Amino acid sequence: MSPRSGNILIVDDEATSAIVRAVRRRLEDEGWTTRVVSKGEHGSADDMLWAAMEAIEDSVPDGVILDVRLGEYRDDQFKGLDLLKRIVADRPRLPVLMFTQYSQGVERETVARSALQVEAPVEFIDKLASPEEVALRMRRLVGADPGTIAVGNRIVLDGDAATVLVLDDQGIRTPVPEVTGRRFEILRELAQAWYRSPGNVVPFDRLERYLEGDDTRASLRVRIREIKVSMGRALGQALGANDFIVSVRDRGYRLLPPRE
Amino acid sequence: MATLPPPRISGHPALAYAGIFLAIAGLAVMVVSLFLPLTWLFPEPWPVEPLSYMAIASVVVGLAVAVGGYMAASGKRGNNNGLSGMDDWSRLTEQQFETFQHDLGRPMRRILGKCREVRGVLAATGEDVSIVVHELLDEIEEQAPSFRLMMANMQVMINLETPDAPVERYPVEPTAVVSRIVERYTGQAIEQGKDMAWWSEPEEFGLVYSDAAALEHIIANLADNALRYGGDYIEITVTRDQETFWVCVTDDGPGIPDHYRPHLFTRGWTPEMGRSEEKTSSGLGLYISRTLAHRYGGTLTVSSVVAPSPDHHTVFALALPIGSPDA
Repeated sequence: MSPRSGNILIVDDEATSAIVRAVRRRLEDEGWTTRVVSKGEHGSADDMLWAAMEAIEDSVPDGVILDVRLGEYRDDQFKGLDLLKRIVADRPRLPVLMFTQYSQGVERETVARSALQVEAPVEFIDKLASPEEVALRMRRLVGADPGTIAVGNRIVLDGDAATVLVLDDQGIRTPVPEVTGRRFEILRELAQAWYRSPGNVVPFDRLERYLEGDDTRASLRVRIREIKVSMGRALGQALGANDFIVSVRDRGYRLLPPRE
Repeated sequence: MATLPPPRISGHPALAYAGIFLAIAGLAVMVVSLFLPLTWLFPEPWPVEPLSYMAIASVVVGLAVAVGGYMAASGKRGNNNGLSGMDDWSRLTEQQFETFQHDLGRPMRRILGKCREVRGVLAATGEDVSIVVHELLDEIEEQAPSFRLMMANMQVMINLETPDAPVERYPVEPTAVVSRIVERYTGQAIEQGKDMAWWSEPEEFGLVYSDAAALEHIIANLADNALRYGGDYIEITVTRDQETFWVCVTDDGPGIPDHYRPHLFTRGWTPEMGRSEEKTSSGLGLYISRTLAHRYGGTLTVSSVVAPSPDHHTVFALALPIGSPDA
């Protein structure tokens, strides 16, 4: 997957549970370094709170995943929100993803949000969310577009080298020589939109910026077809109208990782 | 921060106590009046009777006031947990539901966690297991979004039935909300061989003043329905004008038959009703969604073109005011 240098702090009293381990594994697969503050090391919710603040001072993480509930006692129910308030006060730009119990209700979340600064990069996600969803949300919160984007298991866009690589069964990476220059820029634009939010449609005009001429719409159509033919050849599969780069009527295009 | 407000005292039985006191006093005077020759107080020929009549009257009035006061107080109280008033009953329900959510969530998280652990082990060891094992794991994990939505629906139902639940508006990015929904349901869509896309116009959509949790809840219900009953392609769009923003969830399914449409937003209605089939949903999602939309000053409507028309599809359109910081 894409190499990263970022690190994520996870503050959760259930940090050793399978569900949090799965999230850690996913983040680490994506190249993040993870550090955990959990109840195992620190007795009470208050201890966890202070340990988390120390860890933030020490390691200055790129993002924090924080459980709303830092213990089993009723008083611990919103200890995570106390910690969130401190984080927002001390480091208002630090992205925080809050683990909640399900939706926590309309009223609860409204109260929690209204207590925060509007600009604070804080989002809520429930603990049953898939690790992919947690990783996606963290990516978007942290915000930086990576130099390298993995699209599915077999395609890697290397932004620094402006090259598309296709992986075979042995993991050997082979460049796709036809997808360079403007074709690469168009594909990168689509990949970045997909990376930030799967299913996001990139409007025509954003993609047409890379093209010149009178009829940039027609030119874009041709370039997209060329990319699909080249990628299909490299992947060893025919890419149809509903594969890889899909047209959305009157709007634009979107990327769809090839199905395994 | 997010703590429950203290229970309010909304039904005090002071009137009932005053009535009881009046009745007891009247009774006492009535009894005493039988034995005391109060000729110095009331001249002949009625030395005692007027006092007795007054005492009887005070007993009757006192009892009436006591019963009335008690009924008024107990009608508001509604429980014996030291809380009083319907509002507090709702809050108690909410508190109990939170405990229930947490307790129910723990085994659910364990099940899902173990399921994901199995996937991790299979990936790490490269063990070649039957495709059926992967399908079973998929099936378990697919239940998670439905479970999340079901719990959220119950929570919102309780909240909606709280008489003084606040309607607050704060800056919300609708595109971020839609993006979150698509993230949540993409995995499920892929497993079902379906596809989800979203876009906004303008692309840099900006902020509106609304409630992100309510908005997310409505769109999640619409997306869940589209995946459950709709076609293979689901598109969510976000558009706006000066005063209103719209979130439309469109699917290319066979459409909703005309005779179903009047019932779609009815609480508890599901398409299986009347067909003696097992219900596949609670029938609360659309009811809750429309109620929430109205609560935030908006509407939720549906339009559908039914197959075999070549352009068959269904659109649920949520319209909400853009609002302002002062609203």
